[in-house]
Amino acid sequence: MIFLRRTGPLILAFVVGVLGISVYYVPHEASQNLEKELALWLRIVYAFSFFLGLVSLLNLHWSRIRQRLAGWGYSLVVYVSFGIMFLFVIYNDGAGPFAPQADAGGYQWMFLNVVVPCGATMFSLLAFFIASAAYRTFRARSPEAAILLVAAVIVMLGRVPIGAFISDLLPTAAQWLMAVPNLAAKRGILLGVSLGVIATSLRIIFGIERAYLGGGEE
Amino acid sequence: MIEKLLNIDRRIIFIFVFLGVAIPLLMEFHFPIKPTAAVRSVHEMFEAAANTEDGGVVLFSWDYGPGSEPELQPMALSLLRHCFRRNIKVVAICLWPDAPGLAEEALTTVAAEYGKEVGVDYAFMGYKPGFTSVLINMGQDFKSTFPKDRWGTAVEDLPLTKGISSLKDFDAVMVLAAGATPEMWIAYGQEKFKFPLGAGCTAVMAPDLFPFLQSKQLTGLIGGLAGAAEYETLVSHPGTATVGMRPQSVTHLVLILFIFLGNLMFFLSRRASRTPGTA
Repeated sequence: MIFLRRTGPLILAFVVGVLGISVYYVPHEASQNLEKELALWLRIVYAFSFFLGLVSLLNLHWSRIRQRLAGWGYSLVVYVSFGIMFLFVIYNDGAGPFAPQADAGGYQWMFLNVVVPCGATMFSLLAFFIASAAYRTFRARSPEAAILLVAAVIVMLGRVPIGAFISDLLPTAAQWLMAVPNLAAKRGILLGVSLGVIATSLRIIFGIERAYLGGGEE
Repeated sequence: MIEKLLNIDRRIIFIFVFLGVAIPLLMEFHFPIKPTAAVRSVHEMFEAAANTEDGGVVLFSWDYGPGSEPELQPMALSLLRHCFRRNIKVVAICLWPDAPGLAEEALTTVAAEYGKEVGVDYAFMGYKPGFTSVLINMGQDFKSTFPKDRWGTAVEDLPLTKGISSLKDFDAVMVLAAGATPEMWIAYGQEKFKFPLGAGCTAVMAPDLFPFLQSKQLTGLIGGLAGAAEYETLVSHPGTATVGMRPQSVTHLVLILFIFLGNLMFFLSRRASRTPGTA
């Protein structure tokens, strides 16, 4: 049992991890074919993850409805919305579930006239909350906060046409802030994160990091 | 009074933001839009594709959903207008599950404007799950990754995709993204197969992509609605992004005024609390 629960997965992680890194760099045909095959497997796993996500989502909302938790009505909306879209996909404007999705029909109509406007509206509402949050929190309490404040104002004005209308210097200054201080900070963060990812990957490949095996301490 | 202004009801701020959006939309006025170097580079990338011997074939990757539609769809429409106007052939794919509807709408709308034919001038391959694994597969064998187009026609039967076997066969790739896909395209596409790669992204994502622009892993970058408006200016076809610059400019101004007011009240209240006998 210990082999199936620990040794086997560790060997598998090591072999697949080393292969995954090697095939990226080795241009030999056999290596490239293996990379293609591994990528294909990954895509199949991804496709199955959709089913997992769907089951998890429906389970979560079903338990909310069953227990009549606060806001259970929204969970009901999830079920109704899912049901309607699912039926439209199956019906497929009369073509059936095995034909490519029709250009017209209920699914397309619902997507373009309900999903798109709702998604765009949700995102647009951010403008209101950002305005309110900026008013309350964006204060020059320290020299560092003051520098951040000035930089933000320059970028906010310099990135929209009204900035150039006020002064030609504003877009230039905004561009400089994005291309020099921002770039330096982003590059530093990016390198740090990348090194962290490499270190964690190596720890998993060599069996030092075993949290993914689950089950806690033996 | 100072305390009242410091703790202003957020609904008052909401009203000002609403007016900052609504009034400029109802009024007709224009600000000059000057394309930045990063946006001009994307335009030049497509011009270079158009000037190739066969007229150029480019790949578009639609990697955004309805939440980013207001920012990214105008970008997509402008880029497609540029391509079809210059007779560049377009192959489109989606790496996001909620992108196909938006991609199809943009492709069919602009194709109809220029009288372009599906399968000949443009092809839409639809969505495939797997992000990086799709890129790896496309780099090695495009046709096995997308054996059929969105409408079920085999890629072998499409005149446009007949000659495409790998990512190397594209004269340029343009990623329109609301997530981390441009970075995936760099690591698993551009770095391996060395094609010109442009990115269009939401405004909040643009600062993250600047390092790749400087390292030339990205040929060009269009950031947010402002970037989309710049591209509309470059292709001389003002659309919703250009119109959107009016409310966006005024709302930014409103926001800055509120930040200024907040800071003024903050300093006044701090001074009042330090002065004996006040507050």
